[in-house]
Amino acid sequence: MNPLVFTLKVTPPQRLDLSGLLPHLLNGKSSKDIAALEIGTTREKVTVGDLFRIRSGSADEIRFETGSERFDGIGQGLQGGRITVAGDVGINAGRRMTGGELIISGHAGPYAGSGMAGGRLEILGDAGDFLGGPREGEVNGMSGGLLLVRGTAGQRAGDRLRRGTILIEGDAGDWVGSRLIAGTLVVLGHVGANPGYLMRRGTIMLAKPPTLTPTFIDCGHFSSAFAAVFGRFLLAESRGAARLLRAPLRRFAGDMAVLGKGEIFVPA
Amino acid sequence: MKAFVEGAEVSLETAAAAAARVLEQARQPVIAGLATDSAGARAAILLAERLHGAYDHMASDILLRDIDVLRQAGRLLTTPNDVRLRADCLLLIGPKLLNIWPGLADRLALAASPRLSEAKARKIFWLGPGRGEAAEIGAAEITATPAALPLALAGLRAAVLERRIRINGALAQKLTELAETLRAAHFGAILWSAESIDRLAIEMVQGLATDLNQKTRFTTLPLDSGKNVSGVVQTSGWMTGFPVRTGFGRGYPEHDTWRFNATRMIESDEADAALWISAYGDEAPQWKRQVPMIALARPQTRFPYAPRVRFEVGAPGQDHDAVEYARDIATFTLARASAPSDAPRVADILALIEQNLTKGYEAC
Repeated sequence: MNPLVFTLKVTPPQRLDLSGLLPHLLNGKSSKDIAALEIGTTREKVTVGDLFRIRSGSADEIRFETGSERFDGIGQGLQGGRITVAGDVGINAGRRMTGGELIISGHAGPYAGSGMAGGRLEILGDAGDFLGGPREGEVNGMSGGLLLVRGTAGQRAGDRLRRGTILIEGDAGDWVGSRLIAGTLVVLGHVGANPGYLMRRGTIMLAKPPTLTPTFIDCGHFSSAFAAVFGRFLLAESRGAARLLRAPLRRFAGDMAVLGKGEIFVPA
Repeated sequence: MKAFVEGAEVSLETAAAAAARVLEQARQPVIAGLATDSAGARAAILLAERLHGAYDHMASDILLRDIDVLRQAGRLLTTPNDVRLRADCLLLIGPKLLNIWPGLADRLALAASPRLSEAKARKIFWLGPGRGEAAEIGAAEITATPAALPLALAGLRAAVLERRIRINGALAQKLTELAETLRAAHFGAILWSAESIDRLAIEMVQGLATDLNQKTRFTTLPLDSGKNVSGVVQTSGWMTGFPVRTGFGRGYPEHDTWRFNATRMIESDEADAALWISAYGDEAPQWKRQVPMIALARPQTRFPYAPRVRFEVGAPGQDHDAVEYARDIATFTLARASAPSDAPRVADILALIEQNLTKGYEAC
């Protein structure tokens, strides 16, 4: 089946809310129905048809031929199927998705994968601040699924992560893994100041030796069959991550200011 | 009482009509600054709703730190009176607290013993003060640079929980002693200002207070920055259910601390007209892109570029009576004009602008 394709005709004159363009919402809709959907966020009304050329196809796979920093909420609430974006996106990409796959070939704004609970989100470029984190007034961050960033991530990546796996192949900013509750966060590049601040439980793996806060205590060398098994699981997604997990590791426990049941692994 | 259009002095009515045209012709207007009394904030939010625009406060980056901790992690909180009367142990955190609230020592009667406490004297500690600040109020100083404050706070909280950490030497000794004193307090209070510590450090402070409550009673008092900042936030809360950085683009209030950052909206060409309100001081907007601007400001304000329409307004509590949030008692009060003048109120000018709007925007 051919995918449903959206091609941007003009630069968006305002931020767009694309959270309505999901496979389970568009299935069975005609091109005309889709063109009439409102995607504007200001007092000037904008519909899909105003900005996009639509090539009809099966909504199980949706393709955006162009991206824009003003595409907000792309794949937000995705339940199944596949969305690909050939370009950049704005905030809330893949927010609260529960299944399916979202692939962004450019950069993503802040809050990518915010509170996602399942599925696979891959960002080939860089991600903004609060990757996977909760939004205003929410208590929990990402609670399941796989979030891959091939480029760098901003500040507080993995904030309040509860379950699932985040893998950042590039560098990450300050406060990476802040307030972690559970789940796994792997960073292959350098990280900024104070990783794991306020983390309760969960696992952070850092390939480049960081400066850890004094409330993480050294537990020495660590060998675990699970690390190797997990490494094999990640091999299909990232050779670098698999290599990190195969190598000998050293474990730090913390954040001792909170519960102290979290762990940060670095190469031994 | 002066109003200007393109720099030329005109009547209030003419200026209000010109302002209404600018706001109507824009794709998306934004109200920024928002330093005003509660009536002004109310009028500004009503105008934003009518225009389907957004509103933000000049101090949002700071005030949202406390709000984000409140709504994501919760917080223990008390009033200055409670601290004054009951707290036998005070822990101040971060630099410049006496600049942020000059009357602090007096209002909390730091030099006197707490009236409603069994303790005879007040113990006061200051973690990470600026140079010479701790001595000014007779507090015991524990040195920490602003960058090291989050770590010192984490170390202190770990010491309260009697956990092992990787701090040695004098600082470790001081933190252990301080932790013992805090745990021995009858009723303690931790004071900080969001102007000098980060969101995560504030969350650590809240966790510290929670942990201390397992053995004794402890609470916190975030120092208010004054100028009705808290009043504007509360006004926004009762009108829309959200704090500042809220927009009405789709006809209903949406709150997004990233999307409705006024400076970001203007720099990214999303907002193409701005209404700047600054009635307390001479603060000017920070954005660089020269979007058409309507300014409700004090006469001495220096703008980075000329506003299209400018109104000179009075200062709340100085030129006119105003209802504002009084940090001394942590609630709204009527502030009588200290030097009454005929300089107009922000609320009156905003009402005049709204009367001059010709378009209505349909609600969703």
